[in-house]
Amino acid sequence: MSKTVIEVRDLFKVYEGAVPVKAVNGISLRITQGEFTALKGPSGCGKTTLLNMLGGLDYPTSGSILVGGKDITSLGENELIDFRLRNIGFVFQAYNLIPVLSATENVSFIMLLQNRPKEEREERARQLLQSVGLAGKEDKRPGQLSGGQQQRVAVARALASKPQFVLADEPTANLDSESTANLLDIMLKLNKEEGMTFVFATHDDRVINRARRVVAISDGKVISDTSK
Amino acid sequence: MIFKIAWRNIWRSKVRSLVVLTSIALGIWAGLLIIGFSFGMNNERTAAAIGSTLGHSQVHSSSFLEEPTSAAVLGSAAEVQAMEELLQKASFVKGVSTRAIMMGMVSAPKSARGVRMIAVDPESERVNSNLPETIVEGDFFESKTRNSVIIGQKLADKLGLGLRKKVVLTFQDADGNISRASFRITGIYKTLNATWDELNLYIKRSDLAKTIGQDLVHEIMVRYDETENTEEKTAELSAAMPEGATILSWKRNSPELGYADDMMGIMLVLVLGIIMMALLFGIINNMLMAILERRRELGMLMAVGMNKRKLFAMILVETLMLGFVAGPVGILLGDLSIRVMMGVGIDLTSKKEGLANMGIQSIIYPEIVPEYYLIVAVMVVVTALLASLYPAYKALKLNPVQAIRGE
Repeated sequence: MSKTVIEVRDLFKVYEGAVPVKAVNGISLRITQGEFTALKGPSGCGKTTLLNMLGGLDYPTSGSILVGGKDITSLGENELIDFRLRNIGFVFQAYNLIPVLSATENVSFIMLLQNRPKEEREERARQLLQSVGLAGKEDKRPGQLSGGQQQRVAVARALASKPQFVLADEPTANLDSESTANLLDIMLKLNKEEGMTFVFATHDDRVINRARRVVAISDGKVISDTSK
Repeated sequence: MIFKIAWRNIWRSKVRSLVVLTSIALGIWAGLLIIGFSFGMNNERTAAAIGSTLGHSQVHSSSFLEEPTSAAVLGSAAEVQAMEELLQKASFVKGVSTRAIMMGMVSAPKSARGVRMIAVDPESERVNSNLPETIVEGDFFESKTRNSVIIGQKLADKLGLGLRKKVVLTFQDADGNISRASFRITGIYKTLNATWDELNLYIKRSDLAKTIGQDLVHEIMVRYDETENTEEKTAELSAAMPEGATILSWKRNSPELGYADDMMGIMLVLVLGIIMMALLFGIINNMLMAILERRRELGMLMAVGMNKRKLFAMILVETLMLGFVAGPVGILLGDLSIRVMMGVGIDLTSKKEGLANMGIQSIIYPEIVPEYYLIVAVMVVVTALLASLYPAYKALKLNPVQAIRGE
């Protein structure tokens, strides 16, 4: 049986206001090592809120999130920052690369935050860029790369810190079909070859169709959970 | 890499960064020019006053300092001689001149005015003061003419007198007797200080002695090898002074000059402070705009695990870098400008009269004051440090999730 990477127990997230909104309404979920999982649902269903809480970017109203057996909802702000640095890789919809750094520097930067030696940073960045098909583009800055290439740099960056899992929020939303297919091929390859766990928040059928597990969310609740 | 990012971030918005860098450089340039100009103006005035009248310090009897009457002499001839020898023993004393000082009246055919008469020993003054250099007509007691007087240009104008004209001087001797004698104008002097020129005239001590029958000495003017450390040198001499004699530095003998000197230091720091304050808000504005534009990027950095300390350091380094780039440019520009102006001077001839009344000449030659370069450099660094605080605070307050979404 695969090791549990993330375990979500009875998770709630309520946005207070004139009318309180339950963005996440009692979700329990277990994600194991090596999964390639899509959290699908329409806009506003709560999938991004759930993903943010899995990534330690937001606190739940109640419930717990265990990552490697540790409840991250009990961590303080600074502990969470350090936890994210050492355990989670992020891929964002808008790539969010640092425009003044080259592809290699963007990938290296996160390892710099981890205080890894320069040689290790450069070697791993080079290897990761090669594995996402960007050999020869190492010195290009984001502005000199296509959207698909930038998102591949973002994937390499997410993996640079050797995380326990990668969270990707609508990673293909800004990409054309060919770039999307390329990106998914690369992520599936990394998933298979390195056993890296990927969790997507998406409503893109191109991603959902290739995910091995699809968790459908509606009104903050899991309405179906299917594995292929 | 933090430095690399900071450096490249500066040039992300070239025009905006160039504007803020230029404003910092120009602010520093202006500050250094003001410093150079102020020092040039003040030092010229001080040097002229020290050279012509004040010396670096002066010895008077304590009673003279309380009330400068003719009777308040320094002592007998032997006592004055002993004091002169004592002063000249100090290695830093370049020379001394003895003077008698009396209040009196100068009468010309058409008018009369109250004046201060300074009776000098011409030989000694030639060595120890630059009074002879202030002569604009006639000479500095070169002729053997008895009862010759040198008056200021302004007094000559007021009295309608010229060279070789006769005046009557009235003064009171040490015993309170009124004496009157006729003197011939053999020289007209002009210093930077028109007020001084109007109120003071010079006669020979020997003439005064013959006129009143007493050889009085009220003042010993002391010249040092250099103006530096005047207060310390004066304090050293003061310890050796006999009872009843007091030696005071030029700053204390002429409080208005000393006050101007001290005030200038305070004013310059204030002016620099105002310039830096303007720069502070310019830099804050620049950095706030940069933070606002890079919200998504900063949110991403926080999301992937950049802690607050490192984020703060990144913004701090970026802000400091603005100062480190513009600071040396501003200092270099200021230095070069002052060097050029040191040669040609700043012509304020149109304000000549007003400046002369304050003892300032109409062409100002700025001076380089290296210690202020360091002060300016430190102020720029401190300003950049302060300017980084608010933008850094705003960045640290960002919510990563909202920032990534661009909210």
